[in-house]
Amino acid sequence: MNLFNKPTLTTDEREIIDSITQNGAGRKKGEERLFNRYAYFIKEAIYKYSLSEEDAFDLYSDTIISAIEKIASGSFQGRSSLKTWLYSIFHNKYVDLLRKKTTNKSSIHHTLSISDLLLQVSDQSKTIVQKLVDKTDWHILRERLVQVGESCRQMLLLWADGYSDKDIAGLMEYKTSDVVKTSRLRCLEKLKQLYRKT
Amino acid sequence: MEDNLEYIDAYFQQMLNPEEIRRFEQKIADDPEFADEVAFYLAAKQSSKAEADQEKKERFRELLSQQPPVINIDGQRHTRRIWIYRVSAAAAVIVCLLLAWYFFIGNSASPREMAEKYMDENFKTLSVKMATNKDSIEEGKRLYNAGQYDAAIKQFESIEQSGAGNYQIKNYLGIVYLRLGNYEKALQYFQAFEHDTLYYNPSVFYQALTLLKRNLPGDKQKAKELLQRVVNNDLDEKESAQKMLKKW
Repeated sequence: MNLFNKPTLTTDEREIIDSITQNGAGRKKGEERLFNRYAYFIKEAIYKYSLSEEDAFDLYSDTIISAIEKIASGSFQGRSSLKTWLYSIFHNKYVDLLRKKTTNKSSIHHTLSISDLLLQVSDQSKTIVQKLVDKTDWHILRERLVQVGESCRQMLLLWADGYSDKDIAGLMEYKTSDVVKTSRLRCLEKLKQLYRKT
Repeated sequence: MEDNLEYIDAYFQQMLNPEEIRRFEQKIADDPEFADEVAFYLAAKQSSKAEADQEKKERFRELLSQQPPVINIDGQRHTRRIWIYRVSAAAAVIVCLLLAWYFFIGNSASPREMAEKYMDENFKTLSVKMATNKDSIEEGKRLYNAGQYDAAIKQFESIEQSGAGNYQIKNYLGIVYLRLGNYEKALQYFQAFEHDTLYYNPSVFYQALTLLKRNLPGDKQKAKELLQRVVNNDLDEKESAQKMLKKW
């Protein structure tokens, strides 16, 4: 028996991954199936790691959100089973949480880091941009995001969540991806005007 | 300025050639205003991502609440195994009693009772985010959770009137009015976001709940049609709708 050819993903796991990578209307259902499938990790975090119910939920949700990002961007290559891979993320996040707790940072919610977005930028420019981003008032910016209007807000959320303009056109019933791009940039401009007013 | 955003967008979508990339990065170093635009673009994307993740988390919380309870964490963990056996034995007895009740009496739970059960399980409290200011949506949710429904309405409506509201405000207002028994207002708010494209849109299902609670002549039939629409169109809360339709 050739172990290297042994399929590591079950049909169910493959379906979940396919629906998330499609990025269309089926992605949401795929995300929900992924969450439901391993929700027993929460119980494990409570008993094994002695976490509170809330922390265990946050830990698992953050794991799923991170996994969705990786699956959608094609980083998950199916070399191990979905469960094994997910559990490694879950465990790493638990270690992060422990570190944060020992440095008196109790929250395990996502921190607003843009390091991933800056990966492609050269070092010199990266430093300049990073310093400017650090000055952002995140609270105000998120408040302004509500004020741009529901349609703009939804479009920006989908864009930030990794949906392409073509995907957004399908989901929000726009005629073409070019129309979405124009609208999305207008929404960004509107958000900027609102944010800069403060 | 929109041109700058288009240029920045093209860079981050990796649509520029090597020479254009070099010039773009040089511009960041030479032009502080442009660098500021780039920083804003990234901050906006990150902020939107955080918001999208938060929405996802709220959706996950709802999914979890629809599952059997995952945990019971009070008490001493060291003795929990013994307790698990005791609780399991007690649970087995309770399950038997419940099954007997279900088959002989409980199976007749009406759709209206199921609507009430759903409300009890899902609308008792609204999940509140931390670290927000006093005039926020979160404050409205806190007031709701404290049973101060009138104050919660005032809070949500002031956000709605300021124009800062989104579908969530309408959803929360619908829920508060539903709890207060003001079904007309609840319907009005739930209907207001029915056609919005959202990550999670329970509008049609919530309208059905409201009609079942109001229970005026014709409401039950209308609620049934709405629940069937949820199932047929694969809308959010499909599973709950299916359960209710089975009771018809």
